[in-house]
Amino acid sequence: MDGKIVLNARVQKKDSSQAVVIAVTSSSIFDLEGWQKTVTEEDKQELQPHSAANENKPFKMGAAFPFIMAVQRVNEKLLEMNPEETLLFDVILLSKNGSPEIRSRVEDSVVHYGLDIGRFYFSGDDDFAEPLRSNNVKLFLSTDADDVCKALERGVPAAQLYQQCVQETAGPLRVLFAGDALGLSDDTEHPLREQGFSEAQLQSIAAAKGAMKEFATCMGEMRRRFGRDGSSLLCTCLMMAWSPRDVCVGALKTLRGWGLEVDEAFCLAGAPRSPILAHLQPHILYDHGLQNARNSPAQC
Amino acid sequence: MSAIKINDVSNSKDDSGEDKDWVAAKAAYDNLKSTKKPRPPKPQHAVTIAVSSRTLFNMVKERKIYEDEGLERYVAHQQQHEEEPLMPGVAFPFVKALMTVNARLRELYPDSEELFDIVLMTNNHAQVGVRLINSINHYDLTIERFCMTGGESPIGYLKAYMTNLYLSKDSEKVQEAIEEGIAAATMFTANKENPLSDTQLRVAFDGDAVLFSDESEIIVKKHGLDTFFEHEKEFENKPLAQGPLKCFLEALGRLQRKFYVKNERINCPVRTYLVTARSAASSGARVLKTLRSWGLEIDEALFLAGAPKGPLLEKIRPHIFFDDQMFHIEGAQELGTIAAHVPYGIGQKYHKGKLIEQNHKRK
Repeated sequence: MDGKIVLNARVQKKDSSQAVVIAVTSSSIFDLEGWQKTVTEEDKQELQPHSAANENKPFKMGAAFPFIMAVQRVNEKLLEMNPEETLLFDVILLSKNGSPEIRSRVEDSVVHYGLDIGRFYFSGDDDFAEPLRSNNVKLFLSTDADDVCKALERGVPAAQLYQQCVQETAGPLRVLFAGDALGLSDDTEHPLREQGFSEAQLQSIAAAKGAMKEFATCMGEMRRRFGRDGSSLLCTCLMMAWSPRDVCVGALKTLRGWGLEVDEAFCLAGAPRSPILAHLQPHILYDHGLQNARNSPAQC
Repeated sequence: MSAIKINDVSNSKDDSGEDKDWVAAKAAYDNLKSTKKPRPPKPQHAVTIAVSSRTLFNMVKERKIYEDEGLERYVAHQQQHEEEPLMPGVAFPFVKALMTVNARLRELYPDSEELFDIVLMTNNHAQVGVRLINSINHYDLTIERFCMTGGESPIGYLKAYMTNLYLSKDSEKVQEAIEEGIAAATMFTANKENPLSDTQLRVAFDGDAVLFSDESEIIVKKHGLDTFFEHEKEFENKPLAQGPLKCFLEALGRLQRKFYVKNERINCPVRTYLVTARSAASSGARVLKTLRSWGLEIDEALFLAGAPKGPLLEKIRPHIFFDDQMFHIEGAQELGTIAAHVPYGIGQKYHKGKLIEQNHKRK
């Protein structure tokens, strides 16, 4: 285990070989007041006085705070149903900025909000991919599309945290899978190339399909713990952005074959995604890596 | 009721991402080897009709399983019978007629996006989607857009899809939609099946509280018919306010004009009817003048002067008939017309002229 991963002693340790280990950036969960990027000395000078004033204050809630609350509710319910449950979310909080001030503020914020975060990882400038892989991280999550992109490029399965337009404090954890990649085959790649999709994009779609299987299987197993009515705690959705309906059936059956029976399905056939996503408000948006995910909530 | 298509919902900065989706859809549809299907139109140009699963297909038996045995058993049943197509439902003839109109529009305007777009909008569970899509394939319906919300209300998605008309069996959802400014109606099965035209879509509308507001109905209910007649004569030249289905008539009119422009008025595959209890002599003029002031045409205006609507509708054979009063819906059903109730206005508080108690909620 990498020396930079720090255990949160206040939270009960989970069996990471059995748990669904996810890594989330601290800038998604908290409003880091400008400290989220690794800063230059000049930036530090600018932010320093501000930081000194806020030294012991917890960070404010960030765009994906509702997500971490929803994850927590799922864990709580799973343990309520079975105190010996090992299929839980095991959250690693990833921070790029490793300065001692920020580290302690992040740790304090986690305690302040009572967050079920098992480990901290302060990566600094280092490549975060290897420690994530060696810690069995099933999914890296961030509200920042660039973060997600970089992770995918380094072979870490990654998905977008959709920015919630309403700070929901109740409701299920919503996991959305974009299923067009599931319908991608040699036949269908050619017309996509003709329409202007680059090789890199096509490759990332194909790679996304493989990575999706592992996470979908986990979600399927976890979803089954709650029974058919359990979509009030964990709600799984399929979205087809452009594929025709037969591909949608194929995707539903593929996911079913992996053990995931999604609760909701949307087939858009090219219609604009933003209004649908704005209403659906997913937490995790498992896209094909085409960077089409919406960062801004539309017309809330 | 605003025409929601005029205001574009999507953000302009999202355009590049959404263009990619649009382009990918074209690629996907162009690539279909088995059945060449046209890509569905862009929502902002299309006339979007959202139908629920229970209006598109007959799911009475399955619904009973859901009500008696619960969700788990219901979904399991649907999965077991996935490969068996469902029987057509009450909105099926209407959907087929929409497809006929689309075929004619594509002949005349091969590149136009101004078509009917049929969306399956259901709070059915996504796993039932497999059977629904298999059934859609079986009847070769052009439905490519789906929202299966697994128990959540689909109302929010109606706006997201820029829906022009929503049809459901659930009157609560229909009411919610109307309150959100979306034309909607609760569909009822006819007691017998009248053969319908397969070359022309026929849509019949009641006037007050459907195309027009219920302002005049209020006068009838509160002050009686005589006052109503006087009032209508006095205000003959003042247009009535809009009703929940005005925008849908408008959308139909836009498509009709595309045929007129190409000299196809005689063979126009869309025909609209006004079937109103008003009488031509006393209160009819205001209605016609209102339509004219809105720039809308209606092909046939039938003034019944209070006579029952059933027999006339049986002659017209519409694919759908919209009325706000259950009394007329029942009259239509009896003689084989597919009727759709618009739960709007003061008519909801009355049945057969008598004020009803609002103490029970529809299931």
